[in-house]
Amino acid sequence: MLEALRKKIQEIMPQVDGVIALRRVGKGTAPHLFLPGDDLSELALSPQFPLPTPVRIIQAKYPDKRFAVVVRGCDERQLVEMAKRRQIFLDKLVMIGVACTKEQAEYCRCEMPFPKQVDIGETVEGIPQTFLDDFLAKPREERLAFWKHAFAKCIKCYGCRNICPECFCKECVLEDNLWVTSGTVPPPFPMFHLIRAMHTVGKCVACGECERTCPADIPLTILYKLLKRDVETVFHYYAGADPNEPPLMDSTIFLADMDMLHPPRR
Amino acid sequence: MEYRNVPTICTYCGTGCGLLLEVLDGQVVGTYPDYAHPVSEGHLCIKGWNAGAFVHHPDRLTKPLFRKGNDFVEVSWNEALERVAGELKRIRDQYGPDAIGLFGSAKATNEANYLMQKLARAVIGTNNIDHCARLCHAPSVAGLAMTFGSGAMTNSIPELENSRCILVTGSNTTEGHPIIGARIMRAKERGATLIVVDPRDIQLARFADFHLRQRPGTDVAWINGMIHVILREGLENKEFIATRTENFDALWEVVKEYPPERVEQITSIPADQLAAAARAYARAESAAIVYAMGITQHTTGTDNVVSLANLAMVTGQIGRPSAGVNPLRGQNNVQGACDVGALPNVYPGYQSVTDEKVRQKFLEAWGAAPPARAGFTVTEMVDLAGVGAIRALYIMGENPLLSDPNIHHAREALERIEFLVVQDIFLSETAQFAHVVLPAASFAETSGTFTATDRRVQLVRQAIPPIGESREDWQIICEIARRLGTPAGPYGKFDYAGTAEIMDEIAALTPIYGGISHRRLEELGFLQWPCRTPDDPGTPILHTEQFTRGLGRFQPVHYRDPAELTDEEYPFILTTGRVMFHWHTGTMTRRSPKLHKEVPEGYVEINPLDAERLQIGKSERIRLVSRRGAVETKAWITRRVAPGVVFMPFHFAEAAANVLTNAALDPVAKIPEYKVCAVRIEKITEVERPEKLVAARAGAS
Amino acid sequence: MSSPESNVQQPPYEPKIIGFLCNWCSYAGADLAGTSRLSYPPNIRIVRVQCSGRVSPELVLKAFHEGADGVIVLGCHIGDCHYIDGNHRTSKRIPMLRQLLAYAGIEPDRLRLEWVSAAEGERFATIVKEFTETVRELGPIKRVMVTG
Repeated sequence: MLEALRKKIQEIMPQVDGVIALRRVGKGTAPHLFLPGDDLSELALSPQFPLPTPVRIIQAKYPDKRFAVVVRGCDERQLVEMAKRRQIFLDKLVMIGVACTKEQAEYCRCEMPFPKQVDIGETVEGIPQTFLDDFLAKPREERLAFWKHAFAKCIKCYGCRNICPECFCKECVLEDNLWVTSGTVPPPFPMFHLIRAMHTVGKCVACGECERTCPADIPLTILYKLLKRDVETVFHYYAGADPNEPPLMDSTIFLADMDMLHPPRR
Repeated sequence: MEYRNVPTICTYCGTGCGLLLEVLDGQVVGTYPDYAHPVSEGHLCIKGWNAGAFVHHPDRLTKPLFRKGNDFVEVSWNEALERVAGELKRIRDQYGPDAIGLFGSAKATNEANYLMQKLARAVIGTNNIDHCARLCHAPSVAGLAMTFGSGAMTNSIPELENSRCILVTGSNTTEGHPIIGARIMRAKERGATLIVVDPRDIQLARFADFHLRQRPGTDVAWINGMIHVILREGLENKEFIATRTENFDALWEVVKEYPPERVEQITSIPADQLAAAARAYARAESAAIVYAMGITQHTTGTDNVVSLANLAMVTGQIGRPSAGVNPLRGQNNVQGACDVGALPNVYPGYQSVTDEKVRQKFLEAWGAAPPARAGFTVTEMVDLAGVGAIRALYIMGENPLLSDPNIHHAREALERIEFLVVQDIFLSETAQFAHVVLPAASFAETSGTFTATDRRVQLVRQAIPPIGESREDWQIICEIARRLGTPAGPYGKFDYAGTAEIMDEIAALTPIYGGISHRRLEELGFLQWPCRTPDDPGTPILHTEQFTRGLGRFQPVHYRDPAELTDEEYPFILTTGRVMFHWHTGTMTRRSPKLHKEVPEGYVEINPLDAERLQIGKSERIRLVSRRGAVETKAWITRRVAPGVVFMPFHFAEAAANVLTNAALDPVAKIPEYKVCAVRIEKITEVERPEKLVAARAGAS
Repeated sequence: MSSPESNVQQPPYEPKIIGFLCNWCSYAGADLAGTSRLSYPPNIRIVRVQCSGRVSPELVLKAFHEGADGVIVLGCHIGDCHYIDGNHRTSKRIPMLRQLLAYAGIEPDRLRLEWVSAAEGERFATIVKEFTETVRELGPIKRVMVTG
């Protein structure tokens, strides 16, 4: 796959000012901007690393240049959501789509491990999200105890927020002492985590990077994916699907009937 | 147009997390986690996520400075280096080499620290080289050397998550070493028994199976108490004791006086809880002790450490995976600075300065060596500066005027010193007293190695060139050495093409680093010492077949009270420590916006019962007074501290905990008793604020 | 009422309800209930906001965190919002927050959203009565959240 990617990048390079991809560093990978003429021998695909934030940072400084970026399914959907919020410019971006392997799909428990346009790799099936229903099968008190325990381990590293490409606010509500008492670990239950969860609604593409970088092994994707499922089934809004669709909160979609959502009461 | 990410090691704590510095067009713009790093595994704490935030701060020192009165004037490097070399030469010639003292830096690379101690020893001719390890883990170095033969963490960080029992004491691990704290929580999730012995209700204590809240400064008592229970109930590891240790007979002689009931009187730990915890530790398949400043920063610091070593040896919980005695070194490179000899009593590799054979070796290698007697420690050097016995101090990357105990005293001493050179990245509280300030490059702007607390030597990579006219520490030291005249030995020169060459020299002279080179580190990612030869893969676990000194030596000690007890005049125990969001004297973290925002100012933790009794309200400004001085700060009413105890973080210059702390030292390790002193609390009344009263009256009329 | 023989008794739990009412419709409706002398339980403390769309999830969560046992958000009917589509946002946000509360193990019925117009004084009183009883049955927020 790496060889195929290299060829594709060499093809595209003349049309762009640079290609944002992963580079091998030590035993791992890091986001990198490959410029025309650069040696591509250090190009890498794994371990994976989210690339939309580097796109935003580079495009912010060079809005007139054209870039190509290597995207997995989640990267592509994130870029679409970021474009809706004018954080990146799709018209100046060429996406090189890479399908995830079965191992990658299982690692992320991903429902859609491929971008719309696949240039490299073979698509595999998404993973059924049965773990969400397993979680909902727990009675309410158990769910509460579960999150109380999980959030008590939080060391307020902000890793979940930092790594999330959809979190780009210069002034983040989580840092405001008014909502989340600053300077304490763990942050008071459940403010940090529930505020963050609400802020992901309509934006989250379930890439799982938040959970991956959490030092305390908090299973954040359970919450975020449950909300995402509601957004899809009730609002019929699919984050990252259509760049021409306004963000969920901006759109004139509204919930006509409060009973259309059935919060688990038990 | 250039965008890349440079893998390096975090500059803050001794966990040694790998991270990527994000560089856009020559500016550090952020950090990312390193998913392939064996210790951090793609995780970072908030400080790691903000590790690059201070690099481009406008306060960065960019030019050498001379102090004229209270102002600083910019000068050229040549002027500055000439003056430093000139003054050091003059003072050495007039008053002898021991009139000069040097501070290595626990934040600087191994290469820089090695050159600093070589400058002290081979060029100036003194053993007066020390650094802030004195204030933190000197007892570990001394105590574990006495009992095991080697003063370092015996196991490795990743193993902790597989321990079946972890005894955490004197470490607020989730705040002081967050990523290690995360591993401990993972062990707990996997079913390990967690014992936390700490006066405060720290985050980790919420998950503990046993939280024993001892009175500050009573650690020898409870540790002896645990050994007492273990021996009394026959839970000791008889085979291990017989084959791997010596002096066991002396152990019961001492610990027999510490039955749990007596221990309860001394420590206030309930007897049955202590006994149960002891049993859990002894019986576990693999039990690890994890400790930090709560054990070391006492006048009995060394005693505390040897007692922990006794506990591990009597149960055989050492020399095996996921067990051991694990001091968590504070700074990113305090372990390395010790390893490469920035200590007054040892050469690189912990080879004693008083050993004539060792001295000969270095004399031959460098071409010069100081006399065979130990030099002075940082705490002693400051005192000696105060009486004029030390006339010059060259301080690299340390801030004693905020981190020393009893800082009024330290300040007086440094105000009087004849010549003070400070090499740093910011104009710290100490630098403000310097005659010459040398601007240094930060961790993002230099290359070399850091050694993490689990003896893991890792590469630090330069992400951007030094800011302004700042220079890398190792280059500055070389310039000064050359101007002073370098000795003629085969390793006497101070002329290196790069830091890799310096590491090669370290490897040649330091047996435990013998097989370490930058090339091998690039290939393997890290090497844990001892690593003696170029094909030695390194040592994750110490003392597996035998202890470094052969047999482990039991060193039983009796409990002694802290130096300053509470009394009617000063009825509260003040204990000090770290918070998650800041690092030490705050020179870097308080200049990082997101860290500063979390905790913008100092405070004191006070128990609700005490607050109510003294009529102190939420966030009220109060005064704390000790025999050394007084500090005004904000009250944080919380049950984290027990009644009768107050806690202050030491990061805040304007509410400096160390104005209050006691400079009483551990007799062996010379570490100050930061963790226990006596204070009283006073309310600040309007009458004491005449300016406020005058303003109020003026407003009313 | 405490009797001499027993220990000091806790006063029976009276739910604390915080209501976020939009200025143009529901607050006027509440006013109407008042001037019409319609009775409704005194447990509700009303916070007037310009538009129900202004009620952010952190505001609701903070109310719970500070000790509110129940939070009710009242806005204009869809199509009547003074700011055209402010209440569209409310209609997405508050139900999703109820979902989140439920997933997190907190009773979703502690949070309620209703549309109340300026003319619906009686409806206001009825809703508040109902909601107060619901929250009374759910018990104090302290059961699920450490407050303060």
